[in-house]
Amino acid sequence: MPEAGEQCPACGRRVRGGTQFCPGCGQTLAAKPGSEPSPVAARTPQGRRFAQHWEELKRVFWVFGLLLATSLVFGIASRSARMPWMDLAEAAVDASIVFVAVALRFRKLAFLFQLRPIELRESAVLVGISFLFVVLASAYFWTLEHAGVPMGSTSGALREAGWPTWAIFLIVSVAPAIIEELAFRGVIQSSLERVFNARDAWLIQAALFSVLHLSPLIFPSHFLMGLCFGYMRRRSRSIYPGMLLHACWNALVVLEELPG
Amino acid sequence: MDKTWEVDDANTVKAHFGAFGKKIVTVNGNEVHRSRSMGGKKPIVFSLPDGRGGAIALRPNFMGAPSVDLRLDGHLMVETGKAPITCGECASVAKPYDRFCGKCGKPMPSAEDYELRKNVKSATGAIKVLAVLFVIAGIAFFFLAKAKTDAALVQLDGMDAAAVYPVPIEGQNYTVGELRKQIAWEPWGVLVVNLILALIMVGLSLWARRSALPAVLIATATYVVVLVADGIADPRTLAQGWLIKIIIIAFLIKGIKAALALRTARA
Repeated sequence: MPEAGEQCPACGRRVRGGTQFCPGCGQTLAAKPGSEPSPVAARTPQGRRFAQHWEELKRVFWVFGLLLATSLVFGIASRSARMPWMDLAEAAVDASIVFVAVALRFRKLAFLFQLRPIELRESAVLVGISFLFVVLASAYFWTLEHAGVPMGSTSGALREAGWPTWAIFLIVSVAPAIIEELAFRGVIQSSLERVFNARDAWLIQAALFSVLHLSPLIFPSHFLMGLCFGYMRRRSRSIYPGMLLHACWNALVVLEELPG
Repeated sequence: MDKTWEVDDANTVKAHFGAFGKKIVTVNGNEVHRSRSMGGKKPIVFSLPDGRGGAIALRPNFMGAPSVDLRLDGHLMVETGKAPITCGECASVAKPYDRFCGKCGKPMPSAEDYELRKNVKSATGAIKVLAVLFVIAGIAFFFLAKAKTDAALVQLDGMDAAAVYPVPIEGQNYTVGELRKQIAWEPWGVLVVNLILALIMVGLSLWARRSALPAVLIATATYVVVLVADGIADPRTLAQGWLIKIIIIAFLIKGIKAALALRTARA
């Protein structure tokens, strides 16, 4: 260990007593110069990595922002009267945004669309998660309803306009499941996984998924949904199990709303 | 406003910014610059005894006092604060000009890193401000909505709960019973929604201490979504308070970029 006032053998800087490394160049002072690589050498240029990560975050902003802008425009347009064609047009615009985003990244997302055999244990875990999710989400909505919170209808406008049941299921159950899974568990989660670790990416996509539904009262339930679908996508490395559960949950909600 | 930079073992630069544009710069106690000019944006240029060129520049901020930067031969210097600088790894005290910790050898944050940390701190500060604003808004709007809904409920008194209310509301027909339930819920809904948002922001500000980037990212998305949801409910709100909304979003986006840069540097 150097005495106070001694010089660093590598850079010549005068060092304080008791220091083991030169504060100027990082050279280990106990060893001979050059015997141990200076931490400077371990530093890599970060500019390129920052640019790559920023590009990924910008992709997330674009997809999320465009979906949000669609909600704003169609939300304002359908304030005076809820028209089924408006819901259909909104779904079409959302689908266009998401399909373009997926097409632009298809090479990196292709693994999510591959059909691969699932082991029995793996499928048991996925079924268990699905069951747990349905129980928790149902309990949350039951609590809201019994607390006197007025719940909006997802299929009311379509039923009032006399649309056939299959069309209602297609628009309210299947279409959102495909669009939202492609957007959140496809483009957004994949982009976030390139910036964050898998756990943080999973949490962030679930949070973004929940807030995009625009109602703070359903943030907790939709955050749970986002976690569930995201976990299924992580575990199975496929987008289909989450998509299937999402469509089934939406179908359950529609079934509950159907008269009789 | 006084600023001090210990630039190495032998040199200390001090700058004093007084009233009416008074600017004094000293190097090791010797005055090297004195001027009085309002709104001067040109940097104060001077030399150190060893010949290195110094420049002190004022950088305006969104809010509050401007930042003061010292550059020596183009390199940004770390300001000497009131609290001593410590190593993030081993907590040993270091000098502002140390590039590495003398005890553990880990690289010390650069002046740019301190600047980024300041931006992250501003963004996490904005999250806390949003939490407080949501609580205040929730309580204020609860009482405003309660006064209105109480008056509306009085009008519905005496009407049959099963009868359809004669006037459609936002294009939809309601029975009197449904309408009564909706109206009674409205002030509580406003309060609960704002408290949920405040709780989310509190949670995010706590998360930001450990991991700033995800927390600031989610807070930004949540805040923008709240603005959009308010805009759908009442489009006039989109234009209301736009300046403060832009400032909050700017702080948050700056925080995201700064947190990302710090994260990348640490990786």
